[in-house]
Amino acid sequence: MNNTPIMKIEGLGISFGGLKAVDDVSFDVDRNQVKTVIGPNGAGKSTLFNLISGALRPRSGRVLIDGAVLNGKSAGQIKAHGLSRSFQITNLFFDLTVRENLRLAAQYLEPARHAWLPIKRSARAASKVDELLSRFILTVKADELAGSLSHGEQRRLEIAVCLASEPKVLLLDEPTQGMSHGDTEDTKELIRGLTDSVTVLLIEHDVGLVMDISDSIVVMHQGKKLAEGTPASVRQNADVQAAYFGSV
Amino acid sequence: MRDEQSRSIRVSHAFLLLFCACALVAAAIGAVSGNSFYLRLATEALILAGLALSVDLLLGYTGALSLGQALYFGVGAYVSALVLLQTASFWLAMSAAGAASLLSAFIGGLIANRVRAVYFTLITLGLSQVIGKVVYNTRELGASDGIIGIPVIDIGIGGWSVSAADPTGFFLVVLVFIVILYGALAYLLETPFGRVLIALRSNEKRVPFLGYSVWRARMIAYVLAGVVAGLSGALYPMLRGFVSPELMSFSMSSNAVVAVLLGGAGTLVGALYGSVLLVVIKSIIGSWTEHHLIVIGALFIWSILFFPRGLMGMIIPYFLKRPSEEQSTVQVPSNVSLSGEAK
Amino acid sequence: MELSDYIQFVLMPQVINGLALGIAVTLVALGLTIIFGLLDVINMSHGEFYAIGAFGAISLGALGLNFWVMLALVPLLMAPMGVLAERVLIKRVFNSKDRHVATLLVTLGLSLILEDVLRLVYGPNTHRLDAPISGASEFFGVLVPNYRLLLILVGVGVICAVSFVTYRTRLGAMVRAAAYDRSMTSSLGIPVDWVYAGTFAVGVSLAGLAGVLLAPLYSVFPTMGRDFILLAFSVVIVGGMGSIVGAVIAGLALTQVQALASLVISPVWTDPIVFSAMVIFLMFRPQGLFGRLGHA
Repeated sequence: MNNTPIMKIEGLGISFGGLKAVDDVSFDVDRNQVKTVIGPNGAGKSTLFNLISGALRPRSGRVLIDGAVLNGKSAGQIKAHGLSRSFQITNLFFDLTVRENLRLAAQYLEPARHAWLPIKRSARAASKVDELLSRFILTVKADELAGSLSHGEQRRLEIAVCLASEPKVLLLDEPTQGMSHGDTEDTKELIRGLTDSVTVLLIEHDVGLVMDISDSIVVMHQGKKLAEGTPASVRQNADVQAAYFGSV
Repeated sequence: MRDEQSRSIRVSHAFLLLFCACALVAAAIGAVSGNSFYLRLATEALILAGLALSVDLLLGYTGALSLGQALYFGVGAYVSALVLLQTASFWLAMSAAGAASLLSAFIGGLIANRVRAVYFTLITLGLSQVIGKVVYNTRELGASDGIIGIPVIDIGIGGWSVSAADPTGFFLVVLVFIVILYGALAYLLETPFGRVLIALRSNEKRVPFLGYSVWRARMIAYVLAGVVAGLSGALYPMLRGFVSPELMSFSMSSNAVVAVLLGGAGTLVGALYGSVLLVVIKSIIGSWTEHHLIVIGALFIWSILFFPRGLMGMIIPYFLKRPSEEQSTVQVPSNVSLSGEAK
Repeated sequence: MELSDYIQFVLMPQVINGLALGIAVTLVALGLTIIFGLLDVINMSHGEFYAIGAFGAISLGALGLNFWVMLALVPLLMAPMGVLAERVLIKRVFNSKDRHVATLLVTLGLSLILEDVLRLVYGPNTHRLDAPISGASEFFGVLVPNYRLLLILVGVGVICAVSFVTYRTRLGAMVRAAAYDRSMTSSLGIPVDWVYAGTFAVGVSLAGLAGVLLAPLYSVFPTMGRDFILLAFSVVIVGGMGSIVGAVIAGLALTQVQALASLVISPVWTDPIVFSAMVIFLMFRPQGLFGRLGHA
């Protein structure tokens, strides 16, 4: 059983103008755990995600997955290393069906030459689609257009699409944003259930959710890592309390 | 289980069969009545339908509007003409035209695919104008008069031989050609690669995150479209006995775009119906007055404003049963919306 | 030929000719770039409005009107046409998912109609208009045709007026605001719909004005818009879509390139050169030399 961290973030940093949006942030992510990054608005969480996923190039630091360095690589190469990210603003193919959204993502599992053969021949992708449809409770809606789904269903689909390529690490950017309470609960269960096959790193605002499902939490504040640890230890951390509630 | 796109293509196939049936009837009438004028006009409509297919591949599927596909049509036509002047071989002319349009579309693609959306459209327009004017000015290519005196050829397939001078025979040859083109494109659209093109039209920004190279997909589509246009163009001198710079003109490109939008972008078979519709309107209106462009322009505008999905774009969904009958909350996409950006 | 003679008798006249054409091209491009910069609309029928201006001059001239009257009257008569086009056509596709392409297509259809209407009314042949003034004046030994001089003066005047109104008047500020943020401007009580229609009308009137100005110099025929629009687009792309300064600089530069190049190579090759400039800019710097107007 491999106990080394699957992902290492080492000294990541980036500045915009004179502002250090992310300042020397380091932490490890253990295999098959749920790690959450939280922090007040403007703490630099989304920027951190952009640095990890390759959307932004860091000024300093490295990102490694299973020892392979990720920074500076293209979206395709990063994906090849096993990183998959979801989007805060739902970014699906709204005028394609749910099934097609998933199939496009799952095609990643197939060898390149299958791209030129009829779709029926990509059996592995097809079975992946069925698996995801059932796991994310979207089977009934499989032939609906993604744009006609409710917000909660779209967010679920968004996560499912990210999982289709069987990544090692899943980056979820505020997956429950805008969701109703019921949907949020369902998503909690879903994320918890993911860890048998994937490691999850997520950004979240819903503190209750974070406390419930995280194995480990990283707290960011003004670009720096303020604290890291289990939910219990973070809850009792005085610095964290000060950051959230201010020194008013 | 069949997904929506597959079912849509099947309906399209049915309409193709209908199209062929009508074409065969027309051919029979033409053969019996001995009237070659209309048969030749119909053949020309089919050749133009090939150009329209080329436009639809880019517009209806990748979501990219090219206003310069006539460039490759013209390249194919000129190369075919030049070959035929030397050797009266159908297969040699077609191969040469195919190779020439492949190469020029590759170069054109490198230029045009640097940019997206409306800038892509303007580059394709500019490219076809530059090359068109160069051809217009080149005496070796016949300058503004083009190349005339293309000999009549015999087209040999297996044991059969058809003369290009035979109106009915050549019409059937071109019909078969168009059906083959349609078949190839329809096959492509049912492959994972073809579906990536459709994904490009839907939401280009998301595509790289799924592991696909957008540039590569657009290049392949562009080159394929160029070859489709070039092979169609190669047939033109066989039909009319001449080629001219007009074949590369903006008129030619824009007519193809009009045909696609009238027939329905993104339906493949719409390109065929749209081309025929255009030719029919031109000849009907043309018999009363020279000013058929007013009618076509008006029809085009009316279509864009009120029927952006075009003829087939409206008819085909009618044959597809949606799983849920209630109105979807999202606008089913108009095939005129093209940048592929999710706003 | 001696260098000074060459300059005096070949080069400078060509430069002046290029300048005259350049001013007119700039007017057309100005209209096109304003329509793009402020309305975000690609107007493929712009060339036809240029042609309408020229034909308007022919018709009014045939009625015996004075050239000066025509110069003012034609653009004025064309303004309502522009308003009509904007309200009936452009407004309807304005809010579609891809405004650029939708307006491009709708104005493409309009261009087909307009061109054929011109052919219907005036026939396919070319018409000519006599220049209102003839003769030439001498500047530093160079003979400058008086009409071209007039054209340059009128054109420069109009360009300056447009720039002034856009940037230094309240009206211009309103228009720019409407371009920048429609709903905000509307909530300030400004009739945004009319601002949009008016802007389009001004754009096409500029093209019409150029048509009148160039009518005495070049032949007038129904398809004259088609070639001209490519030149106009090239100017707009190179200058920067939406930039007034860009349209002026690129308009003058590209026409000078055309004029001077035709001294060394056959004039038929100057068009491909100009269009190639457009392609090259689109490849490497699609935003052109300068930025956008309404979104500065």
